[in-house]
Amino acid sequence: MAKLPELKSQHIWAVVLIAYVTTAVMPLGAPFKIFDTTQEIYSFVESLPKGSIVVMGGASVFAFDLESSAAMISCIKHMARRGLRLVNIPLGVEAVQYQKYCTDAARVDQKYGGPWKYGVDYIQLPYIPGGDPALIQLLTNVRSAVSADVYGTPLDQFPIMKDVQSYKDIALWTCPHWGITSIFRFVTGERRIPTAHFAQAAAYTGSYGYRTVFPGLVYVTNGWLGGAGYEKLMGFAGVGHAANDGYALSSALLLIFTALGNITRLSQTGKEEEEEKVEVK
Amino acid sequence: MISTDPWVWLSAFMTLCSFMLLYGEHPLFRIGEYTYTATVVAHSVVTGIETLRIRYAPLIAGKQPFLIVSLILGFMALFVAWRKYAWLASFPMAILIGIGTGATIRSVVMTDIIGNARAVLLEASRVFVWDPPTQLGYIVRIVFTTSALIYLLFTLFIKGPLSKPVAYISTLGKYAILLYFGLTVGNAWQQQSGLAVSAINRAIRQLLGL
Repeated sequence: MAKLPELKSQHIWAVVLIAYVTTAVMPLGAPFKIFDTTQEIYSFVESLPKGSIVVMGGASVFAFDLESSAAMISCIKHMARRGLRLVNIPLGVEAVQYQKYCTDAARVDQKYGGPWKYGVDYIQLPYIPGGDPALIQLLTNVRSAVSADVYGTPLDQFPIMKDVQSYKDIALWTCPHWGITSIFRFVTGERRIPTAHFAQAAAYTGSYGYRTVFPGLVYVTNGWLGGAGYEKLMGFAGVGHAANDGYALSSALLLIFTALGNITRLSQTGKEEEEEKVEVK
Repeated sequence: MISTDPWVWLSAFMTLCSFMLLYGEHPLFRIGEYTYTATVVAHSVVTGIETLRIRYAPLIAGKQPFLIVSLILGFMALFVAWRKYAWLASFPMAILIGIGTGATIRSVVMTDIIGNARAVLLEASRVFVWDPPTQLGYIVRIVFTTSALIYLLFTLFIKGPLSKPVAYISTLGKYAILLYFGLTVGNAWQQQSGLAVSAINRAIRQLLGL
């Protein structure tokens, strides 16, 4: 019987890496469905009056939150197209970079040919320490919690901040971060601000339940799969499409590797039994 | 066009270093790991100092003199590292925990306890209203929630006439929890895959200027 080559983890690693890189450069166009939940967020953003204030806020680490960037980037593009305004409120140390990355990647600033101007249409606030009490303080009076933007310029010098005094000025709170529970408690629950959560896959089931707790106020969709749907609604193929392609391809590869691993294992088991029989003689 | 920004190249290199863990023990992964840890710690320290500077600027300018209270409490918290006077740190810690608990307890009860209980009751009332697939979904949720709660609350049940039926429901609840764990594993796999593609995609797009 022909000897089957041993399946090493390094081989799997190399093949999966090639698959991911390939889908990042060359989209496969793997099919997917636009979830109703994604459509709901899209429709809600579409219904907001021009000039409404939207917040991107929350806390977690960059590496985990990156998964939700597909949906957040699409949503920022949507906001810019609709003439909405965005205030980025980082409640975690690494949330500053993540929010800045999402805003930059959306290419909505005038320097990228987009319609937004910093300080007029969007602003990046610095890290606001203090956890839940700081969030409550910020919602009550923004200036009591933060006095300058991330670059140290006083907030009063920005036109956008003239219209942002307290939670009453916020039309929608978007959260692409892992730390959503505080947002649901204090932003949605206590202050009745509609909230859209672009959830990481592992956080999705936990967040989804809040849709029933606060019906009509909580919108939740999957960060990258929902993001792919959002991209489709916006008419472009970005990270979400690539992530969907990568997931489809890696899932197929996973099945192939599982089958190969089992074939190798079964062939070895047969050989071991033959060897055992020889020893008995 | 390939990016000429050295930070983009560094970012792509570090992304690759991070993924080397999957290849096995490799020096490139160690470079990535140590660099990341050092950067995160350094960044947190710098952010902390900068935050302190911004926060206490009004105090130095004499605009908000009451900030001296929080400054003193902050200094008292540092005594935690000095065993003889560590008791001084217990005051700011107590205030911190007290304010934190006071601020969150009402919201936690309203959202996570009363809110969730209300949501389950609301779903129970909808069982007979919607179309059959939605009804089935609601039934599954109610049955699974109730049985899982029974499993967790009555793991040890007093022997009696009800112990057998409760044991059956409890077993169903155990399977409901196991199903949830299975789904969680599936979601975690989905998350890792999405995260990997997002990170690689980010690195490649920036590198190639796509």
